[in-house]
Amino acid sequence: MNVVPALAVSWLLVKRRLPGGFVLDLLVSLPLALPPVAIGFFLLLLLGREGPFGRAANALFGSDIIFTWFAAAIAGAVVSFPLVTRSIMVAMGGVDRRLELSARTLGAGPWRVFFTITVPLAYRGILAGLLLGFVRALSEFGATIVVAGNISGRTETLPLAVYSNILLGRDGQAMVLIGITIGLAVATLAVHNWLLARVSISRESPNAAG
Amino acid sequence: MPRGEEVMGTGPLVGFDVVKDYPGFRLECSAEFRAGVTAVFGKSGSGKTTLLNCLSGIERPDEGRIDILGRRVYGDSPPTHLPPERRRIGYLMQEGCLFPHMSVAHNISYGHRLLPPGRRTVGTAEIISLLELTGLLERPVAGLSGGEAQRVALARALASCPDILLLDEPLSALDAPMRGVIIRYLKAVRAKLRIPMVLVSHSLSEVLALADEALVLSGGRAIAQGPPARVLVDPTVGALADYPDLENLLDGRIVRPSEGPRSGVVRVGAADLEAPDVHGRAGEETTVAIGAADIIVSSVRPQGLSARNVVAARVTGLHPVGVRTVAYCDLGVSIAVELSPGAVSELQLREGSDIFLIIKSNSIKVLSPG
Repeated sequence: MNVVPALAVSWLLVKRRLPGGFVLDLLVSLPLALPPVAIGFFLLLLLGREGPFGRAANALFGSDIIFTWFAAAIAGAVVSFPLVTRSIMVAMGGVDRRLELSARTLGAGPWRVFFTITVPLAYRGILAGLLLGFVRALSEFGATIVVAGNISGRTETLPLAVYSNILLGRDGQAMVLIGITIGLAVATLAVHNWLLARVSISRESPNAAG
Repeated sequence: MPRGEEVMGTGPLVGFDVVKDYPGFRLECSAEFRAGVTAVFGKSGSGKTTLLNCLSGIERPDEGRIDILGRRVYGDSPPTHLPPERRRIGYLMQEGCLFPHMSVAHNISYGHRLLPPGRRTVGTAEIISLLELTGLLERPVAGLSGGEAQRVALARALASCPDILLLDEPLSALDAPMRGVIIRYLKAVRAKLRIPMVLVSHSLSEVLALADEALVLSGGRAIAQGPPARVLVDPTVGALADYPDLENLLDGRIVRPSEGPRSGVVRVGAADLEAPDVHGRAGEETTVAIGAADIIVSSVRPQGLSARNVVAARVTGLHPVGVRTVAYCDLGVSIAVELSPGAVSELQLREGSDIFLIIKSNSIKVLSPG
């Protein structure tokens, strides 16, 4: 869910000097600094039955967004958006601007340069950013419980299930779920780090003078 | 004759009048380029690359106008600023800037495939054979040497069939033998494809070797324009004062390659010159570098000399520059010789004087990758 907006915002912030770019930059990073519960509350206002998106969904599909798996996914996406965007910004910023300019002089417009030069050269970093966002969304608790509730079997994410089990005193089951969470996180972060290590190797000067 | 003149009658290839302000620097420059290869010459910080970036559309001037082959690509009224991809230019940057995620072949065809078929005036096959790249096509870019990468970048720019080729210090990242190789390829491109070029350089030797005309920039302003052989020795330009090591980079042909310690022979103009380290086959073309200060002038044919090369020549121009005098001499090609003013008066040198040039074989460098 984050791929397109994160790529778009990263491109705007890294490759274009937008007037007011720093405001956008700030907005992008804001969810990182706010308590997830506060984000959940804002989402509730937007997605709830009386909120603009909630009403639209009701009119179009005859169903609510709130308290569904989709709401949990949105909460995860919004909370992890800054992480994804910041990783992608770093990856795109590492693409040599002269390569993009060379492509422009060869007749490629900005879109073509983006898809044939920038993205292919930054894809490891982009993938790494998406993985980072994935683990963050997986562990998301505060915003999720506000907009998705904690409905057994429907909107019960891993951390929500851990929470229920602790409340019910089922420490053993909580431990098992925490173990699964740790396993997923470790595996994803390992791939993430491997991707980024490959980036630094492939950046080492291909065409030294000589 | 450059292609521009065919298209435009006698109109200029490029005409511009641009102003671009930076903190602490201002480019304010107007000129017209007519020749096949125009060099933009100046020290680093003189505004050469900024000017080239403005012509290519990578940078936008603050005010003025730029016309390329009679087409307005930048102007105030009506406000025009064509992006680089619509200017039909080729731009060869200092270090090639090949796309590292593509093969050599894919790099070369990148711009070519974006052209509508009607604008593909040159095929990639022709360019690949002209620049002798057949053996490199399937290689990944990362494995290329600096000279190979620069040749591929040149092919890539040419394959986009530009109206004009802009070159930013294309030789500066290369060692001397590679420089000789690329100079030969650039000359081949000029001769076969007849594509006009604008060459940015801070090297007198390169400008003399490659350009039909030179524009000298200093502090963001054009201070002289004309044939390189005249402009570069103009005392008011003072180009030579900053460059103690003027080198003649001349077309040569191998007559006899070196064998072991025995020196080889290269033909330059009408003269056969003995030189060490002549690598290659007989008949092969090469570039020969001779320092202008390494040549001795004699008014009579000298005898009993250890120097191996004594060549008859004629003085075609004498230019006092500061404490030195540059004499252009004709030996089938034009060669620059540096003399002290005392030597000029003692030998009674004038334009048209018949003289002999004495060149030690060790002063002759044959620029072939060996």
